[in-house]
Amino acid sequence: MEVYRKQGGYAAVEKALKTMTPDEVLEEVKKSGLRGRGGAGFPTGLKWSFLAKPEGVPRYLVCNADESEPGTFKDRDLMVRNPHSLIEGMIVSSFALGANTSYIYVRGELFYVIRILEKAISEAREKGFLGKNILGSGYDLELYVQPGGGAYICGEETALIESLEGKRGNPRIKPPFPAVSGVWGCPTVVNNVETIAATSWIVQHGGDEYAKIGIGRSTGTKLISACGNINKPGIYEIELGLPVEEFIYSDEYCGGIAGGKRLKAVVAGGSSVPVLPANLILKTMAGESRLMSYESLAEGGFVSGTMLGSGGFIVMDEDACIVRNTWNFTRFYHHESCGQCSPCREGTGWMEKVLHRIEYGHGKMSDIDLLVDVAAKIEGNTICPLGDAAAWPVGSAIRHFRDEFEWHVREPRLSQERNYGLAGYADPLPVQAAEA
Amino acid sequence: MATLFIDNAPYQVKEGKNLLEACLSLGFDLPYFCWHPAMGSVGACRQCAVKSFRDEEDTRGKLVMSCMEPVRDQARISIQDAEAVGFRAGIIEWLMTNHPHDCAVCDEGGSCHLQDMTVMTGHNYRRFRFNKRTYRNQDLGPFLNHEMNRCIHCYRCIRFYKDYAGGKDLDAMGAHNHVYFGRSEDGVLENEFSGNLAEVCPTGVFTDKSLKQHYTRKWDMTHAPSLCQGCAMGCNIIASERYGELRQISSRFNGEVNGYFICDRGRFGYEFVNSEDRIREIGVKGKPEIKDRDSLLRTAAARIREGSVLGIGSPRASLESNFALRKLVGEDNFYHGVADTEFDLVNLTLRILKEGTVRTPTLPEIESADAILILGEDLINTAPRMVLALRQAVRRGPGEALSARMNVPLWQDAAIRQAIQQDKAPLFSITPYPVRQDELATKSLYESPDDISRIGFAIAHAIDPDVTEIKRLSDEERMWTAHMAAVLLRAERPLIISGYGAGSEAVIKSAADVAWALKKSGKDVRLSLTVPECNSMGLAMMGGHRLESALDAVAHGHADTVIILENDLYRRAEKTLVDEFLQKSRHVILLDQVYHQTAEEADVIIPAGTFAEADGTLISGEGRAQRFYQVFVPDGPVQESWRWLQQLAEACGNRTLSHLRILDDFVLEIAKTCPQFEGIEHIAPPSDFRIGAQKIARQPHRYSGRTAKEAHIQVSERKPPSDEDSPLSFTMEGYHGIPPSAVVPFFWAPGWNSIQSINKYQIEVGGPLHDGDPGRRLIEPGDAHTPVFFAEQAAPFPIRPDCLYLIPQYAIFGTEEFSVHSPGIASRSPAAAITVARADADSWGLRDGDLLEFQFNGQEYKLAIQTNQQYPRGMGTLPIGLKGVPFMDLPGWIRLKPVERS
Ligand SMILES: Cc1cc2nc3c(=O)[nH]c(=O)nc-3n(C[C@H](O)[C@H](O)[C@H](O)COP(=O)(O)O)c2cc1C
Ligand code: SF4
Ligand code: SF4
Ligand code: SF4
Ligand code: FES
Repeated sequence: MEVYRKQGGYAAVEKALKTMTPDEVLEEVKKSGLRGRGGAGFPTGLKWSFLAKPEGVPRYLVCNADESEPGTFKDRDLMVRNPHSLIEGMIVSSFALGANTSYIYVRGELFYVIRILEKAISEAREKGFLGKNILGSGYDLELYVQPGGGAYICGEETALIESLEGKRGNPRIKPPFPAVSGVWGCPTVVNNVETIAATSWIVQHGGDEYAKIGIGRSTGTKLISACGNINKPGIYEIELGLPVEEFIYSDEYCGGIAGGKRLKAVVAGGSSVPVLPANLILKTMAGESRLMSYESLAEGGFVSGTMLGSGGFIVMDEDACIVRNTWNFTRFYHHESCGQCSPCREGTGWMEKVLHRIEYGHGKMSDIDLLVDVAAKIEGNTICPLGDAAAWPVGSAIRHFRDEFEWHVREPRLSQERNYGLAGYADPLPVQAAEA
Repeated sequence: MATLFIDNAPYQVKEGKNLLEACLSLGFDLPYFCWHPAMGSVGACRQCAVKSFRDEEDTRGKLVMSCMEPVRDQARISIQDAEAVGFRAGIIEWLMTNHPHDCAVCDEGGSCHLQDMTVMTGHNYRRFRFNKRTYRNQDLGPFLNHEMNRCIHCYRCIRFYKDYAGGKDLDAMGAHNHVYFGRSEDGVLENEFSGNLAEVCPTGVFTDKSLKQHYTRKWDMTHAPSLCQGCAMGCNIIASERYGELRQISSRFNGEVNGYFICDRGRFGYEFVNSEDRIREIGVKGKPEIKDRDSLLRTAAARIREGSVLGIGSPRASLESNFALRKLVGEDNFYHGVADTEFDLVNLTLRILKEGTVRTPTLPEIESADAILILGEDLINTAPRMVLALRQAVRRGPGEALSARMNVPLWQDAAIRQAIQQDKAPLFSITPYPVRQDELATKSLYESPDDISRIGFAIAHAIDPDVTEIKRLSDEERMWTAHMAAVLLRAERPLIISGYGAGSEAVIKSAADVAWALKKSGKDVRLSLTVPECNSMGLAMMGGHRLESALDAVAHGHADTVIILENDLYRRAEKTLVDEFLQKSRHVILLDQVYHQTAEEADVIIPAGTFAEADGTLISGEGRAQRFYQVFVPDGPVQESWRWLQQLAEACGNRTLSHLRILDDFVLEIAKTCPQFEGIEHIAPPSDFRIGAQKIARQPHRYSGRTAKEAHIQVSERKPPSDEDSPLSFTMEGYHGIPPSAVVPFFWAPGWNSIQSINKYQIEVGGPLHDGDPGRRLIEPGDAHTPVFFAEQAAPFPIRPDCLYLIPQYAIFGTEEFSVHSPGIASRSPAAAITVARADADSWGLRDGDLLEFQFNGQEYKLAIQTNQQYPRGMGTLPIGLKGVPFMDLPGWIRLKPVERS
């Protein structure tokens, strides 16, 4: 607390509560161009402006700290290292939304984070930043930490709300959106940890300042959790717009592929987004350099692009087996499916079984088309995006790495012994080129 | 109306519905699982997908779930679109990846929605080459089987059980394709509507356990449209038979009475029909040789002619049977076989409904009430189905408000339910003791019947000063009466409920006063007054004397021959009185279905047909006349009571019934000679009704084994029985389409073998049946006139030392005479004990399980007690009709024997 205060912490709270109206805060957030850091990248200001405000009905802000997507591990660190930045963000955001009760829903496994947050909250309360009549502004706010139910699906905002209410974490059908009927049936905004933490900076420095950072409609900075076969796995705060190539190879960031090997593929935004082969992750189809931004990564649609997602950057080198990776992801999605809608509940299980069979050398050629068919039928036809998240890795892996799947089926014995390697979708930039 | 383009053809459809309902109503076959017409949509199964197009130009379109999309004018959708067809087949393919496909040994087979939908989507080739997941099943008690491997995860079971019926012991557990629908551990499913799961579940997970003991496929049973005899709600049922055995009861849709659902007493209480305790043979004391119909008639007629006769009618016998007895013995000699208190309560009820200003509600009217006051009724035990309706009513107001605020249609069940949270429309329940409906109540009070009536009158006074003010109310009572009156006055469609439950005329009168006062102030109010048995209302309408006077008539020698119609007098009057009555009567002739104590004493026993073996008309508590039809022709001399009585009259040389032979004759005669029953001749088509010269077949066209099933007795096929009483045939010959609504023997449509085929029988999905929901209301209030309020001034309930005011308590499982012959129902019967306030028991030095000795009407009794903290002091309840509980004509004061202290 002391350290945070010294570095100017809670100045945003003072500024917002004492000198601004809630609408002015909202206006700054709109101007900043801040987009949701939870995965979908939806403009935060716009989302807030959708919040219904019926007479006499309370409103809620919920911070989504359920972070359980494979490859994404940024929120955890943010909360451990700087819990007050989140709390400060919660206060100014709740103020902007007119919420007098707010929740931080934390992934259940992160019990130590829960303790840290609770301690930080009581510190903030002692200093008068929480509770009744904060800083004499007349604004009241209670902030609660809610341990999660221990399922990935509870990170989906409506499932999170169900879980928060003490029910089974099944996603709800939208509409109605949480902005109309969320926690306890009341209007609610759900935002990611990183999103909320960014709001205090925006309040303090102004939306226009924030908008200057980044590129185009991808404003600001973003935490990227990088992992896989790289020299320096970890969490990096980057300015949006950084070239992917620089991110992978620069010593400031990932420091290149581990062991001097060659890049094979990247899952750029957490396990849910389409995987791209080396050539397509570094350059778009049009030959332009790919940048770490919402727009650039999405360039080419799903045919040749992907998504920034939650910023989980998984790098695979030439020895990585795509089939095995895809199976592994699918196993995760199958396990985490809430079991509510048929395509995801049954489809993910089936895909997992088929992928397992191919990986272990018992696949048939027709299995590959079967996977495509099942994935395509899941995509867009489920209640929540977990279905899509399960379908995209499979669809993209087969789209870009079909040879490798076929090789697994054709050469069951070989595929058990060695890797298919880089083949046609190889890294167009040899390691040396990047170093030069 | 909106114009909806389906595969480019325009249709006029109702706005506000969803696309699935619209398509089904238009007759399209669109598959679905999770949507249910009474429970709305949740969009979980994804089976109902169609293609939706933005406009005429849009050729790609987008898959949408038809159950989740509201009908919009000019909307364009396609059912036949290749992607939509493929997707729907894909859903079935997915469901089948984990479905055991064990139709041959599955109880659902042949009436399975999953089978129907599978065939409908055209999926037939399996690409899944792995093991399927398996579960451990649970023992859920006597009513339902559980076979979880067959689950397709449509969530309907918990949506019905938890959300719709308020059950607490069934849930979804686990995740992904291993979600489990069950209890947290083995054990009896507690909710009183659990049996509906067998119909709600579209697969063979939840199936009827009572059917399993004599399992038969739907197509192999003979079915008939019937009525539940379990209480006075008059729920419509389908009764199904094979091999002379009644095998299953399922609900028969009637939008005005029971909708899609019935209670477990109704569904599982049928086993007495097949019971060992049935009266199947003629019995004449001392003359075992008399076994055939003719000699019986001769003997009985001789006895009837010999003396002066009186007849005792029954609230569980049909109108026709009661009418026949009344004709046979003469109006002056016709008595009601009901307890005297009950006689007074029911007659009062009838008078209030006939002469008052307020109508009784239909089921949809109950469900749409926006403020409810219950005075004295323990509804789950006196009118079970009504509680299910009230549960929907209390969510409706908040649901409608939220639907408008959020712009989400009411049928989007998950969203509306979610937004409602715990909010409820006002429901005030004032009863003598804690009851099930308390969970629905915004406020519950527990008061003695006297005090309930005082509160009732006080509410009426607060609404209309013409009702006398009630003196000596406590401050709390004053506050609540003012609040309740204000809430009722604010409502648009208030509903007042009372009835026989508290055993108090004053309570019923106070309810009437509240309803009348509301009516006077311009409210569209309804008044529901429960009555005990399936034809209590019909019997009261027919008229007759009190049972007490019958006992007197014999005691004083005015009569010596007694004909008892379908009645066990030991359940109607105290034992000593009945003993004396039966001993003094020279001849006791009993027509009944099941052996009981009265049968032991009767000289002549005549086997009467049960509802499954007889046709007849009943009047429900709503005042609705409805017809039930015979399912099968029993072996031996069993036949309808009205037929026996007609034959007896003939044998006696009594000509009053000579011109009546078949059911229609009776119905017409009753309608003609008793103006209060005018209209019963129109509730169902007459026996000569034909469709294309055909009768309506009771057996499905796939009925099998017809020529073989009796071959072990006689190789040549017996001539099938003919049915002269109804337009139904006993065989598979006949019309198999959609008949008039009152004579639908079972629901079936091409491609729709399960109960879901009801859709095809409705004018629009969820709406009334083609040609209207069956039955006709006979009691309507007179023209709007100013009511004459009862406005009674009862004194507050006095607590008397060494006395207890004992009132009756009813049990859905246990009280009703016949249903306890089903072992499953009997196993759920409560303990035979008196319940009293804990403080009272403490003051007597008694604890739970101790015996209470007392005197009532000069008799001594001894019964165990149970204590309850929430009971008012000075009052106790006795569970009525249970095994081991002697009859007492309650309510009344009992005198406690001093407890001996050592
Ligand atoms: C299956 C699934 C899991 C998700 N898990 C998370 C999560 O762990 N953390 C998170 O912030 N958002 C998660 N989301 C996204 C949330 O639904 C929601 O979009 C996000 O919290 C909104 O915050 P934002 O606008 O700040 O991005 C998940 C979404 C899905 C479909
Ligand atoms: S897509 Fe999967 S996780 Fe989402 S609601 Fe459907 S079954 Fe549940
Ligand atoms: S048990 Fe039946 S109703 Fe319940 S989810 Fe399974 S198939 Fe549906
Ligand atoms: S509510 Fe009454 S009539 Fe309806 S099923 Fe139950 S017992 Fe039968
Ligand atoms: S019926 Fe429409 S999704 Fe289940």
